[in-house]
Amino acid sequence: MEIVVCLKPVPEAETRLRAATDGRALDSEGVKFVLAGYDESALEQALLLKESIAGSRVHAVSYGPGPRTEEVLRAAIALGADLATWVEAPPGTALDPIAAARALAAAITSVPHDLILCGKQAGDDEAGLVPPALGELLSLPEFSSVVDLRWDAGTSRFRFLRSTEEGGERWESSGPCVMGLQQAWNDPRTAKLPNILRSRKATIARRPLEPVPAGPRSESERFELPAPRTGARMIEYKTPAEAAQQLVRLLREEAKVFP
Amino acid sequence: MTAPILVVGEVQAGHLTSPTLECITVGQHLAAGQAPVIGFVAGSSARSVADEFSHVGVARVVVVTDATLDTALVAATAHAVAAAAERVGADTVLVGGTTFGRELVGRLAIRWNASAASSVTEVRKEGDALHVRRPIFGGRATETRRLDGPRFVLALRPHTFPVPPDAAVPSNIEEVPLPSLPPGLLVARRTALEPTSEGVGPSLGDASIVVSGGRGVRTAENFHLVEELAAALGAAVGASRAVTDAGWRPSSFQVGQTGRSVSPQLYIAVGISGAIQHLVGMLSSRVIVAINSDASAPIFRVADYGIVGDLFQILPALTAEIRRVRGL
Ligand SMILES: Cc1cc2nc3c(=O)[nH]c(=O)nc-3n(C[C@H](O)[C@H](O)[C@H](O)COP(=O)(O)OP(=O)(O)OC[C@H]3O[C@@H](n4cnc5c(N)ncnc54)[C@H](O)[C@@H]3O)c2cc1C
Ligand SMILES: Nc1ncnc2c1ncn2[C@@H]1O[C@H](COP(=O)(O)O)[C@@H](O)[C@H]1O
Repeated sequence: MEIVVCLKPVPEAETRLRAATDGRALDSEGVKFVLAGYDESALEQALLLKESIAGSRVHAVSYGPGPRTEEVLRAAIALGADLATWVEAPPGTALDPIAAARALAAAITSVPHDLILCGKQAGDDEAGLVPPALGELLSLPEFSSVVDLRWDAGTSRFRFLRSTEEGGERWESSGPCVMGLQQAWNDPRTAKLPNILRSRKATIARRPLEPVPAGPRSESERFELPAPRTGARMIEYKTPAEAAQQLVRLLREEAKVFP
Repeated sequence: MTAPILVVGEVQAGHLTSPTLECITVGQHLAAGQAPVIGFVAGSSARSVADEFSHVGVARVVVVTDATLDTALVAATAHAVAAAAERVGADTVLVGGTTFGRELVGRLAIRWNASAASSVTEVRKEGDALHVRRPIFGGRATETRRLDGPRFVLALRPHTFPVPPDAAVPSNIEEVPLPSLPPGLLVARRTALEPTSEGVGPSLGDASIVVSGGRGVRTAENFHLVEELAAALGAAVGASRAVTDAGWRPSSFQVGQTGRSVSPQLYIAVGISGAIQHLVGMLSSRVIVAINSDASAPIFRVADYGIVGDLFQILPALTAEIRRVRGL
């Protein structure tokens, strides 16, 4: 089975966010970009599938500028990915999810793919648009919020569970699809040192970005941090009942969160 | 010149969802009375939902009642929406930003060649472009994006906009056929639907109030205190990873970086310290309440209201007070 997994380098969780001087985007000066969040789950799921199906390969694909994109692909190789493709974006390219989906789809079309795994949403833009856009570009079904995924060798079907607002949906598929993985129900593994060292020399296929067909674009024009919450208004009380009364009164009259 | 705006109806338990209704309000605002807001709904039982749609202030309703759509394959719906948008000459498609809505927007961006955004909390039209605001980085920042025309598809963040009043006169309903689909799209089928694993009450992603418990609750058995408060509020129940890791509640309850992101009107964190990995899943909530015995817990730095105290005393009192004011 040929499993493609799409990985986006994102600022590590502890990053102190600041706007760049033009105020349009995150200031990425000194920011460490990592493989994180749902993408880590997607890669882990890809590796678990590979281990359960003989003769499988995991192919990590990432679109973005260097060096962060190359580094994330090396991290994926250190964790067990067999192949890696880097679709190079010129430095400073602002990544719009639909443009990213087009770049990724062009790379995926030219390699074997029985299954395409993504994170449900990227840790930075949180758009959740790349997986469905990829599905449409590749003419494949797409499922977001997948929380469990198995290969049933007996029936040659993927069986998976997704968690939506309505509850759990069980699905099966006899052919390729795109999935957005929801959570680290599978505790992602960590890379072993010898593998990290080996990954530094691994080959990464570089693909220049094909000229994107003229089409609708979106562009970030302002990046803002929320006004710092001034700290909680602390409720003074003598008895728990008094605390409860005060809180409920404030929630109704001041915050107006319920009648 | 303003073109019609199409609002895609999402159906749950046989009814239009409230995020759908919020889209009508936004559509009316964008159309500014110069173009109609048109409803769209698909599925084999969409006809009765179309009736409901015709009473909530849309100029007319386009309905596709094809059984192919019943497996809820978003791909099929996207093809039907694109065809309907063409038919009515719409330049904008709006949908609630649920799992379904975001998938639909991603597919439509390609299918209908439109610029797209999800989790939108504000929309402004300026010339041929739309400017949208949306939370990013788990609510730790906000971006404004410019979307270039001529076509736009937006998934609006649920619980952000008001719902429209009911219309006095129902609008017309027009039935249209489902366009044919590429066969590759139909390889998957839904085999079962399970009720929300979060138990009774609204599901986490959907709820306008969420009450979450953390390690401070101490045992699985004590978690009923959190659940009773949630029940009194009609809220969904969430948890920190300390709780799901300990197996006190299943991982579907987890809020945070590796769990779910929620953005309710009200988030109540009980016995949760406020680690960054938890915060990124709930910071975009409108109002945050923290109940914690440690006055220096970081959760108080992001909360709007705080009670320093023992949750085992505060929760029962709070549940009782809520029941009292709600007449339960
Ligand atoms: C990669 C990674 C991903 C992670 N993802 C997530 C995630 O998605 N979601 C998540 O939640 N965490 C996540 N975590 C874990 C996170 O770092 C914290 O460990 C976790 O959120 C702590 O949970 P807690 O606040 O319930 O527990 P604690 O930090 O132990 O806090 C318990 C709190 O309860 C209070 N308390 C104790 N007794 C009482 C009482 N009687 N009354 C009132 N208050 C009381 C204490 O003062 C304390 O503040 C992740 C960590 C990593 C490394
Ligand atoms: N530039 C990218 N390169 C590789 N994968 C990406 C890229 N952008 C998004 N993805 C994948 O698509 C998922 C959803 O991204 P988004 O739609 O931006 O929220 C991510 O979790 C990744 O798996």
